[in-house]
Amino acid sequence: MALPLTYNFRNVLVRWRATLATILGIGLVVAVFVLVQALAVGLEKSASNTGDPRNIMIVRKGSTAESTSQVSLEQFQIIRYWDQIARDSTGAPLVSADVVTLISQPRSDGRGEANVSVRGLTPVGMALRPQVKLVSGRWFAPGKREVAVSQKLARRFTGFHVGDTFRTAGNTLTVVGEFDGSNSAFDSEVWMDADETRSLFDRQNYSSLLVRAANPQAGKEIISRIENDKRLPLLAEPEVKYYGDQTATALPIKILGNFLATAMSIGAVFAAMNTMYASVGSRTREIGTLRVLGFRRRTILAGFIIEGALLAAIGGGLGCLLALPLHGVSTGTMSFNSFSETVFEFRITPWLAAKGMIFAVVVGIIGSLLPAIRASRLPVITALKSV
Amino acid sequence: MTIPTFILKNALRNKRRALLSISSVAVSLFLLVTLQVALRELTIPPQSAGAELRVAVRNKISLTNPLPARQRGIIEKIPGVEAVTPFTWFGGKYKNEGGMSFAQFAMDADKLRSVFGEAKMDMDGYEKFNATKDACVLGKITADKYHLKVGDHITLDSTVYPGSLTFTIAGIYAGTPDDRNMLFRQDYLDESIGEPGYVGMWWLKVKSANDMAPVIKAVNAAFQNSAAEVRAESERNFQLGFISMLGNIKTLIASISTVVVFTLVLVTASTMSMAVRERFRELAILKALGFRRREMFAFILAESFGLAVTGAALGIGGAYCLYTFGDIGKLTAGIFVSFEVTPRIMGFAALVAAVLGIVSAVAPSLSVARMSVVNGLKTLD
Repeated sequence: MALPLTYNFRNVLVRWRATLATILGIGLVVAVFVLVQALAVGLEKSASNTGDPRNIMIVRKGSTAESTSQVSLEQFQIIRYWDQIARDSTGAPLVSADVVTLISQPRSDGRGEANVSVRGLTPVGMALRPQVKLVSGRWFAPGKREVAVSQKLARRFTGFHVGDTFRTAGNTLTVVGEFDGSNSAFDSEVWMDADETRSLFDRQNYSSLLVRAANPQAGKEIISRIENDKRLPLLAEPEVKYYGDQTATALPIKILGNFLATAMSIGAVFAAMNTMYASVGSRTREIGTLRVLGFRRRTILAGFIIEGALLAAIGGGLGCLLALPLHGVSTGTMSFNSFSETVFEFRITPWLAAKGMIFAVVVGIIGSLLPAIRASRLPVITALKSV
Repeated sequence: MTIPTFILKNALRNKRRALLSISSVAVSLFLLVTLQVALRELTIPPQSAGAELRVAVRNKISLTNPLPARQRGIIEKIPGVEAVTPFTWFGGKYKNEGGMSFAQFAMDADKLRSVFGEAKMDMDGYEKFNATKDACVLGKITADKYHLKVGDHITLDSTVYPGSLTFTIAGIYAGTPDDRNMLFRQDYLDESIGEPGYVGMWWLKVKSANDMAPVIKAVNAAFQNSAAEVRAESERNFQLGFISMLGNIKTLIASISTVVVFTLVLVTASTMSMAVRERFRELAILKALGFRRREMFAFILAESFGLAVTGAALGIGGAYCLYTFGDIGKLTAGIFVSFEVTPRIMGFAALVAAVLGIVSAVAPSLSVARMSVVNGLKTLD
């Protein structure tokens, strides 16, 4: 017969003073684990939120970032009027030739500067990226030295709010609008008119082309046509795949997360063991009584393991709760791909919270295993005699 | 029985618990040291010899915008400048590896010794680098990693320029804080991409430390209001610029360290309370025998302090040995090349341990102080 679960549960509650520190300890470990993983998830989410399945991204073969890619005007003209490219209501092809460059801007906290991506694009380019929505001010006017800045980026740098001006490349630019990129990679960008960008930064070529395929089959044809055309040393990929490959920045964060999880879980196992040994020690007589009542060794063993797991699960739940307030908080670091500031959010997904709970329960089970074995092996008579 | 043996016996009477407590303190302090070293490596990069005489000049817009090659003549004429070399990022990928595993820069072969003198190489290497257009010199770490030696050819696919280039290794250098970079000739790059007339950035060597500030000022002023305005700064400031780009990572690591310390205090304090609660009756007997409160406090303090310090010695010592004698490049997948556990960090971790030992003794001591002898003697467990 198994011990009733309420027995374990009430045991955890009755000894709350002794168990509280362990629960809190495990909770903090789980909170750190969940938060660091939430950063990696946020980075990956921002990449996966970016592409539209109908769009094809075209960059120079061999380049790893739009800012180091070049597409010449001739190449743009060759591709522009292909039949496979969708057209808008006026019959114009949905092709956006973008210029992406980096500018160094002072941070708003006064701690130095960082590179920011500036994308020069046309109204077609904006139509191809419908997830980007204006939240204040207005869009930049073509032919003017005006920019719109991502709202999240505006908070991190000086001179990026509506009405502000900043100097770059010997010119003054005015911020006329702020936009929200719906947690996509565009949240890390400054947008302005394509031709203005080219003249301001003295760029003859475009950086990339974004085209809307007329249908999925046409998309495949565009990719193979570029692959086979010797005049075009370019690489075409679905936009979704292009951004999906841009998550290398998440790797060091994941390494950090795994290292922390390993080291902290070892510490947490020791703490859980200490608590459970103390719990077994102070309940020696109780365990003897249970044995006399007819509960078997393996029942006692299972009982203590369940108790450890329960203790850890409470800690795990607490850890997830502690981490939760940071969900959706935006943060930023340098992307190793684009060499510029990338803004992303802590994202605590249900799966991540579940992973945190599993992590906690595993710590609890490992920590209670040895004490439970000890409890189950107590000789009945000596256990009953102990004070 | 003397007082010290009494304390030692008490600390070790539950050997399992003592071991577990020491281990958890050791693991936590190991973690704390690791995080502090990582934070230091990220925020205070290693300084190379000769850095105080070097100036980095980049495009004012950002590091990724090129500079016109014609600027060289103007910079060379500035008083106090000893040598000028272009320094152009090639962004080459080696052997279809997923990412870039080492950096490559194009520069002037004859300026290597004057500008980056701390990179030590045999004379033969310098001569070959000067004589052969496709020559390159390679840092020792990279050469060892790929088992490359002088005379080998390597081909790199550039992520910045179209196509790929093949180089012949002229020499292998060592002696810089990060012996991973590959240096090759700017004229070879220019030739292969059709003489575009641009370079990535300039590196300058000034004649003396007194020339630093005037040279920086003069370089910045020389290109004011030109098509390519520049930002000249000392090597130190240039490095700090990179650190600023890392953004919130620093805050993240600092907050994790705080949580680790807090968890540590919590768990250790709870262990101490357990140890004291277990022997309430004994402590009551000691009280009845006439021991005073401060003596009881001293017993508990000595025990908790001893546990914390033993754990600290293991954790800090372990971290020191691992990071001093281990291969840090391999351990961190190439993110860090040096991972120096400084005396300052060890001192900080030891201080945390000492405070921990004291704080953990406070709560149990208070409950012992408050307990009445009669109730204490009645306690069963």
